[in-house]
Amino acid sequence: MEITTLSQTNWQTQLRALYVIARKDWKVFWRYPLNAVSSIFQPLIWVTPVYFMGKAFSTNGQALGFAGYTGSGDYMSYILIGTALSNFIMTVFWGMGYALKEDMDAGVLESNWLTPISRLHILVGRTLTSLLTTTITSTVMLIIGALLFGFKPTGNIIAAILTAIPMLIGLYGFGFAFAAIVLVMRDANTMVDVSSFLVQGLTGANFPVKSLPYWLIPISLMLPLTYGFDAVRGWILKTNTLLPLPVEVALLIGTMFLMLWFGSWFFYRVERNVRSRGTLGQH
Amino acid sequence: MQTTLSPQSLGRPGFASDLRALWAVVRREWTITMRYPSWIIAMFIWPLIFPMMYILTARALSGPDGSGLQVFLNTTGATEYIGYIVVGTTVWMWQNIVLWDVGFALRQEQMRGTLESNWLSPTWRFAYLLGHTGPQLVSMLLFVSITAFEFGVFFGVRLNGNPWMIGLMMLAAIPAIYGLGFAFASVVITMKEANAFVFLVRGLVMIFCGITFPVSLLPGWMQGIAKFMPQTYLIHGMRAAAFNNAGIPELAPDLIPILLFGLFWLALGYSLFVWMERRARTTGAIGQY
Repeated sequence: MEITTLSQTNWQTQLRALYVIARKDWKVFWRYPLNAVSSIFQPLIWVTPVYFMGKAFSTNGQALGFAGYTGSGDYMSYILIGTALSNFIMTVFWGMGYALKEDMDAGVLESNWLTPISRLHILVGRTLTSLLTTTITSTVMLIIGALLFGFKPTGNIIAAILTAIPMLIGLYGFGFAFAAIVLVMRDANTMVDVSSFLVQGLTGANFPVKSLPYWLIPISLMLPLTYGFDAVRGWILKTNTLLPLPVEVALLIGTMFLMLWFGSWFFYRVERNVRSRGTLGQH
Repeated sequence: MQTTLSPQSLGRPGFASDLRALWAVVRREWTITMRYPSWIIAMFIWPLIFPMMYILTARALSGPDGSGLQVFLNTTGATEYIGYIVVGTTVWMWQNIVLWDVGFALRQEQMRGTLESNWLSPTWRFAYLLGHTGPQLVSMLLFVSITAFEFGVFFGVRLNGNPWMIGLMMLAAIPAIYGLGFAFASVVITMKEANAFVFLVRGLVMIFCGITFPVSLLPGWMQGIAKFMPQTYLIHGMRAAAFNNAGIPELAPDLIPILLFGLFWLALGYSLFVWMERRARTTGAIGQY
């Protein structure tokens, strides 16, 4: 008798497990359809105060001060691109760190952990549906943003998307390390919110990093995401970039491998420790 | 030998037992709060990082030579931009935290599967909601104090007004802010969805109440909506109290609507809770999620 179950671990079963996790999340997502509407409008709501604040800084509709930093006075396009990319950053944060906390609260983390699936695959699986829904909602957000605030991409969108891919893959490494911390701290909300905000602030999601206080600029320049935001905007809006675009892209590809290696190493190290202490099921 | 039992339990309804139930909820909430000490970090970090997003954007809009800043000060009538933004964002954070803490209180019980069993106990059910408010008010007081301290020390924001007037504005806003939280909690438990509602309500505050800009910059129809939101008056009044040395006569146009909104939201919050409680009993849907 041939037995075909997940317990026969090979790449097919791992893929099947990823699919099952993603399908479950897809069902849960559409079970609460208001979430979909909310994820389109939520980012737009966050940038609305910036839109009106920008008007308070503008003379005859021109944000000349902003152009001094970026080479473009179109601050709303600049911010909307940052917001769309931030949605993906949040997805990796929420998708992994918060998903672990959700499983802890629901009491299923320990049983999921007993399945013969790579723990990293469980984490990655929890982001697949979110990535798809984020792509859909961010596209709709940009379309609405174009209608409400005048989002005007003038450059090479394909190059920008290709640049964003290594940045996002690298983020998974960061997400693994972050998920490990959630396993130890057992409280995701505060950490997810605080670290997302800090990362977004330091990497210039909503403003050029050159406008940061001088003592924060070195920290910002050490974060690969800074170059990701900068390069994507450089491609789409032709803004002044921190480094030449090919250098920024090479930097993103290099740090992608580094972050993936470090994140998975750190996660497995912490996870082994949590298992040996028997605190996995606690929350 | 005859044994006389004298049960002193929550099962004997009365004012004292209601208070005891309320105290039990307050103590439980306090215990849960202490169980996750990361809130202490949040208490110090949030007052800084949330306003920072807008402050840094304002810096960027000012330009390298700061030329845009004078335009902002002329438009808003503010004396400095950091304090102006911090007041608006702090009010927003207050409402946001109340929506999550108080508004989410019953939903959390529902998700944990303890709401139905709590509902069966012969206690004053509003205590479950009210009990969340006590520790929340204490933590918010701490939160606002930390905000004032941090922006005073790190950014040199100086108050040019009477701190008692700021306190008065906040005190007047408590019924409106928490009344909205009570109403919200009942809606959430009925609709079985919290996140989207929090996003909607706090989004309205963010768009219409002028957290980083004067409401006068909004189009006319948006200004009309802003007039129906107590947070608009709270932000305006707190800015006047903190930076323009406004006294009670100057604050009255903000204080009166805030108090009226407070009455409205408390009444609506309690009515919705009573309605939800009755509906839950008749439909038996309280344990579903």
